[in-house]
Amino acid sequence: MNKYRMILVVLLAAVLALLPMLLRRDDLINLAFMVLLYICLGQSWNMLSGFAGQTNLGHSAFFGIGALVTRWLWATLELPVMLAMILGGLAAAAFAMVIGVPTFRLRGAYFAIGMLALGEMMHAVIAQVLPFNDTLPVQLIAGYSLAMRYYVALILTIIILGFSTWLLRKPISLGLFAVREDEDAARASGVNPLYHKLFALALSSFFGGVTGGLYAYHQVSYYPQSVFGGNWTLDALLITYIGGLGTVIGPVVGSLFFVALRELFSSIFASFNLVVFGALFIVIVLAFPGGLVELLRKFQRGR
Amino acid sequence: MLEVKNLGVAYGDVRAVWDISFHVNVGEIVVLIGPNGAGKTSTLRSIAGLQPIVAGQVDYLNKPIHQPKLFTHAHELVSQGIVLVHEGRRLFGSMSVSENLELGAFSPQARKVKNRTLTQVFEMFPRLAERKDQRANTMSGGEQQMLAIGRAMMGLPKLLILDEPSLGLAPLVVKLIFDVIRELNQQGMTILLVEQNAKRALALASRAYVIEQGRIAGTGTGAALLNDPNVQHSYLGGVL
Amino acid sequence: MNFETLLQTLVFGFFVGSLYGVAAIGLSLVFGVMKILNVAHGELMMLAGYVSYFVFSLFGIDPFVSILISIPVLFCVGLLLDRLVYRRIHLLTGEAKIKNSLLVSFGLSLILQALAIQFFTADERAIQASYSGYSLTLGGIILPYTRLISLFIIFGVISLLHWFLQRTITGKAIRAAAEDAEAANLAGINIQRFYMLTLALSAALSGLAGSLVIIGYGITPTVGVVWLLRGLIVVVLAGTGSIFGTFSAGILLGLVEAISSTLFGAASREIVGLVMFLVVLVLRPQGLFGKKG
Ligand SMILES: Nc1ncnc2c1ncn2[C@@H]1O[C@H](COP(=O)(O)OP(=O)(O)OP(=O)(O)O)[C@@H](O)[C@H]1O
Ligand SMILES: [Mg+2]
Repeated sequence: MNKYRMILVVLLAAVLALLPMLLRRDDLINLAFMVLLYICLGQSWNMLSGFAGQTNLGHSAFFGIGALVTRWLWATLELPVMLAMILGGLAAAAFAMVIGVPTFRLRGAYFAIGMLALGEMMHAVIAQVLPFNDTLPVQLIAGYSLAMRYYVALILTIIILGFSTWLLRKPISLGLFAVREDEDAARASGVNPLYHKLFALALSSFFGGVTGGLYAYHQVSYYPQSVFGGNWTLDALLITYIGGLGTVIGPVVGSLFFVALRELFSSIFASFNLVVFGALFIVIVLAFPGGLVELLRKFQRGR
Repeated sequence: MLEVKNLGVAYGDVRAVWDISFHVNVGEIVVLIGPNGAGKTSTLRSIAGLQPIVAGQVDYLNKPIHQPKLFTHAHELVSQGIVLVHEGRRLFGSMSVSENLELGAFSPQARKVKNRTLTQVFEMFPRLAERKDQRANTMSGGEQQMLAIGRAMMGLPKLLILDEPSLGLAPLVVKLIFDVIRELNQQGMTILLVEQNAKRALALASRAYVIEQGRIAGTGTGAALLNDPNVQHSYLGGVL
Repeated sequence: MNFETLLQTLVFGFFVGSLYGVAAIGLSLVFGVMKILNVAHGELMMLAGYVSYFVFSLFGIDPFVSILISIPVLFCVGLLLDRLVYRRIHLLTGEAKIKNSLLVSFGLSLILQALAIQFFTADERAIQASYSGYSLTLGGIILPYTRLISLFIIFGVISLLHWFLQRTITGKAIRAAAEDAEAANLAGINIQRFYMLTLALSAALSGLAGSLVIIGYGITPTVGVVWLLRGLIVVVLAGTGSIFGTFSAGILLGLVEAISSTLFGAASREIVGLVMFLVVLVLRPQGLFGKKG
């Protein structure tokens, strides 16, 4: 069994590593990139909303800040892109720490709508301050390689998933779960909720920002306000819930499903995938809080 | 009239009532006494249709109203004649006395004779008539309890269930409340009463049950329990 | 900046604020009674806007008359949504209920938006009635007829709603269910039925608001979140206690936005409300949506 699994992992790694050579078509490589981007997005959202139970409807703010800062450092100041992405993530995390203390006075749904307002506010501010299209300088466009984007995304995905797996084995994850289940009970048993929530927020905003940086690295040109759009929060939420909230594998499953469905339906009915996703999301929230991962497990056990 | 058989009630995984059986005949006053946390309120809430049961059965007028897979909602039971005066009174605090009473007569049959019932309530509690435009949460505890009972009367109960109606009230008001309960009973209303004030309640009771830790721990006529040394020791403060 | 321009700005702020008020009353009704945070409220308004748009463009029905269609249509949509979706949340309590209602209605708003984009296209729609361009001029201040009629209708409807909730037995039952659902149930009130009615009433209010929005402003499939956020801001400012309190807070937001856009430029209009919102949220996280501060 273990040997079997080992072979599977090696095979998977090989396929992932060679994917651009195997696919050879830009549109397919791009799809692979999108899957990876959404895994990172979903998993970064999951760290706060899934692991620590703080539903964040303003994740787009972190994504956007990461994107803007990365883009500026990389395209304008010509820093190496990996370094720029890390700094982008740190900028998002710094912003998160500033807003974290006041917004964590809010609980549950109030935190959610507070963050929603914050996300919308950032969106509105950026739309006013940076209304122009941002296109890469000519020399960067000339050297543009999609395969390169794919590999950076792959590395980031491996880091985020590996980190999450590691995190869930550490004692602090128990504190996060305790806060998620019942904040008052957690406090009564000696867990400091604010500290744990800030910790989860820091991770979530950092990786959210790095993911934004990845997107900024990928786009030849975009409107700065577009990276602050509420759709980034929404996608993260859908992917994570549908895959499986609070699990490492959930966003992976959700993201594959999300991109596949979007491709499948886009030719028939432009936003039909959103209708399907919305409906699936509602069903999952109401009836199967474990998401697809849990359903698959049940199915396996049932057999 | 009411038959409770091996009732079990739980909150999630925590069992509050294990095994409670008792019955109430037409025209009786049946009293349940027991220490804090014994499961009295849970029992009453289940009977009245606020809380699903996990074991046993409750029959009303010889028909099952609650089983683990059968739940009759409170509003349906109100129209069948079961009305509960909840522990803590549970008035609509921001509404006036009149509005509270009007809402008590919400079921169609009660609404038809609303004015007549209202006269009866005001006769029984003249204080409510004086204060009919006052907001419920600005009234004294005693007045609030009168209103809670008045509101229940507006629903035309055949079986009136009261959960600790004398809790926290001055002795004079307690006497008034017990007089009202006796009078309602004499007018033909069947009464199921939970009380901490065991002495007064047992004096009134046709029969009574002692509940401890979610089980029936004793039963008898009101007079018999009043003279029971165990009951005297536990619930009557050792003195008679 | 002269006095007249300022006054004119304030007048327009007042008009748009009255719509914020209506949007907020719908939200706060559902939140106050059912403890459900319906973030699809904006999308319901959007739907109503399209109802008015289509009965105008297909059958030539006057936009103000079309309210008589959009209100019942949205009322039924509300009944349906309660049956299909929200009823399943009623079983929950407290935090879990609010959070799940938020998530579920989030999903719902996504579906409604996607359907609207597909069937109505992403183009902005507005209604130009024959009298749209005309206005009353009072001491140099322009008062467009459409806005005046809208305001008149809004006052009428919320007064009616106030009367309904305060004076009729059905309205009192709704208030009773809001105050203490179990006690209401013990009084003989079928909670589920009144929850359903409340959601439908709220949807009907979004019907009114949406139709008035398309007359005075314009509608796109994604316009919902704009009105939702305004509504949320107002509810946070005013609490869920009184209809006229909520309405006044709506007007206040409209005025503040107007003042801020004259002082700091049009851009600040989008932001000032959100800033107020966050400040109030953070300053009184417990008293949020409460009856009193
Ligand atoms: N909503 C609830 N959730 C969890 N446990 C509950 C709940 N309500 C009651 N309990 C528990 O059920 C048990 C019985 O409570 P209940 O209120 O029925 O007792 P009681 O006999 O009415 O007590 P008292 O005389 O204090 O009113 C108690 O242990 C109590 O802690
Ligand atoms: Mg009790």
